[in-house]
Amino acid sequence: MEKQIRRKDGSLKSVSYAKWGFIFIAPFFLVYIVFTLIPQFLTLYNSFFENYRDGLKQIGPNFVGLDNYKELFSPDGNGTILVLRYTLNTLIMWLLGAIPQFVIAMLLAIFFTSYRLKIKGQGFFKSVIYMPNLIMAAAFSMLFFTLFDMTGPIHYVLVENGIIDASFDFFSNRVTVRSLIALMNFLMWFGNTTIVLMAGIMGIDQSLFESATIDGANPVQVFFRVTFPLLMPIFVYCLITAMIGGIQMYDVPQVLTKGNGSPNGLSKTLVMYLNSYFGPSKNYGMAGALSVYIFVITGSLGFFVYKRLSAPYKDSARKHRRRKGDVI
Amino acid sequence: MKKLIVILLAAVMLLSIVGCAGQGGTQPAAEQGKVFNIYAWNEEFKGFFEKYYTVPEGVTVNWIINPSDNGVYQQKLDEALLNQANASADEKIDMFLAEADYIGKYVDSEYTMDVTSFGFKNADTMYDYTIKAASDSNGVCKGVSFQCCPAAVIYRKSIAKDVLGTDVPEEVQAQIDTWEKFDAVAAQAKEKGYYMTASFAETFRAFSNNCTMPWVDKDNKLQFDPQITAWMDQTEKYIANGYTLTAGVWDAEKTNQMFKDGKTMCFFGPAWYYNFCMTNAQDKENGCVGDWCIVKGPQAYFWGGTWLLAATGSDNTDMLKDIFETFTTNEDVCSKLVENENQYPNNTKVVEKYAKDESYGNTAILDGQNDIAVFAELAKDIKWENHTNYDQLLNEGLQNKLQEFYKGSVDKETAMKNFYQYVKETYATITVPEN
Repeated sequence: MEKQIRRKDGSLKSVSYAKWGFIFIAPFFLVYIVFTLIPQFLTLYNSFFENYRDGLKQIGPNFVGLDNYKELFSPDGNGTILVLRYTLNTLIMWLLGAIPQFVIAMLLAIFFTSYRLKIKGQGFFKSVIYMPNLIMAAAFSMLFFTLFDMTGPIHYVLVENGIIDASFDFFSNRVTVRSLIALMNFLMWFGNTTIVLMAGIMGIDQSLFESATIDGANPVQVFFRVTFPLLMPIFVYCLITAMIGGIQMYDVPQVLTKGNGSPNGLSKTLVMYLNSYFGPSKNYGMAGALSVYIFVITGSLGFFVYKRLSAPYKDSARKHRRRKGDVI
Repeated sequence: MKKLIVILLAAVMLLSIVGCAGQGGTQPAAEQGKVFNIYAWNEEFKGFFEKYYTVPEGVTVNWIINPSDNGVYQQKLDEALLNQANASADEKIDMFLAEADYIGKYVDSEYTMDVTSFGFKNADTMYDYTIKAASDSNGVCKGVSFQCCPAAVIYRKSIAKDVLGTDVPEEVQAQIDTWEKFDAVAAQAKEKGYYMTASFAETFRAFSNNCTMPWVDKDNKLQFDPQITAWMDQTEKYIANGYTLTAGVWDAEKTNQMFKDGKTMCFFGPAWYYNFCMTNAQDKENGCVGDWCIVKGPQAYFWGGTWLLAATGSDNTDMLKDIFETFTTNEDVCSKLVENENQYPNNTKVVEKYAKDESYGNTAILDGQNDIAVFAELAKDIKWENHTNYDQLLNEGLQNKLQEFYKGSVDKETAMKNFYQYVKETYATITVPEN
């Protein structure tokens, strides 16, 4: 944006308003570079070094090439490649929570925005479903731990009613521990997703719904032919942010299983694994290699989801533009 | 444009200066500091400190408390110690607490200082092992312990009466003075519907503190002492036979067994165990104060202990000396620790006084038995040997990984391999047995 102003002596002075734009976005980029970009490169750099602590003595940093990566992908004593197991754990637990999260959030978003239902007390319901997100994840997890522990009320009630055996431990069973973690993530996040999806739906022109109804479309058709395609950009955004959050899952399983990822590491997530290298040995090398792996996983999954889900939408947008041009 | 950036940067710098100002700039080097920083992992010693030590006027005491679980305390402490040289006088750690399981790591480093450098002398009344634990490989002592931790079997009298037909300490001791006898009593208890212990790890310390070799050998290779394997065998049997529970040693499931309606006969612990682990037994409504006695049990051992270490760089050396003296040589304070706090102090003179005193008895939790007399006998045998800096997390890790086996989620082999993997992740320097 340049504008020329003629000075009194007749010369031209150009005034650029673009600089204000740069100034306003500069703080973000500065913060991003200092606190995200540089650390990212440092992580990559660190992953090539042997660098840890033995007691209060520092070992390294010594350059070891790709040794940390080799170590990361070599099987443990039981023949399991742990990093892959933990990746799978993370994805399973995320999916267990994310599928109901998106289905329920979508349903609620449609109910709340429907001009036919006109649900009363929306503000109240929206606040209530958002509430679990306001609690600190660790506190929420502690609450569940107390409820489902061997000495907790739920365990007690279920034993009293003969539903489970007295020796049944929710945290030693793969299915229950993973389900509990997924349930917590679901409870914490479905409200948030509902709000974002609602905003997305409200951004769609109401007349489209009306005309579809007049044309005889039933609610299901309206949803699949009108609402969902137009909601796609917001939906993809929600899905990708939820996925990134899911891959970084840490506090809920950490607190629930006291950092053990019991049973047999089947509820241990990637970030919990990362944390175990940051115990007393402060192993920057291994933690760096693992972080790079998590970055690659997140990046490629994000890219894949984005490509798959937004490709049809992009096509239709292009077609839409072309048709407009035809008319002219 | 440039001007604006300059102004922005200046503003940011100004803000950060204002932000830091509160944290106290460097003070002129005074004789003694005005701020005394103590690192600890719980409130136990803080309570005694606040009751029995008078802080010199004008000195502020800061407690920095981080939980011990998963090594959090050690990590926070390490960070602070490594930064000790750069910290301002009032920010420096003056004193920190350390447990038996990792005290060596700090004693054998430059981050702790010789107690004689500020005029403290170890007294004859202190237990030798407490001095040895706080001394580095050259014998330089870096701190003191305010307690001595001989540990015993703490049994429920009513259950012992039911199972053994007697609740008199001498007679109970005679029936459980070897592990074979202890196992036999466990079977008897089971028949009567009781548990022998309430946690698979309850007897761990009785074995592990009698080890004849450390967790790692000279080449930092992980090794299992016969005592550790004996514990593993015993526990496996106890779980299989239903003599004990699968709860961890700190779990609520275990401590709930100390209520009046608990079904467990024996607990293993030293004097600090009363206040620290047995609050359920002291519960006004559901507790069972007075239904307890202590005996030596199958094997004498000690458990834990809290040492006070002097941090290098402290500017409050007078106060350090004063604190050390208060909690070791001050007989008045040591007596109060016994009478009011159920502690077993690190002062043989005070201990003897109570051990011989017929009128003394512990009624806070026991039936009036003179527990000091029992502990005094046990304390004579405590030796400080075969410790490594890795003990805390190796002990914890072994228990956690085996617990999964006892709960039935993995087989024993997998549990052991998970333990090796845990060791590898936790301590990069330790070599674990080959697959």
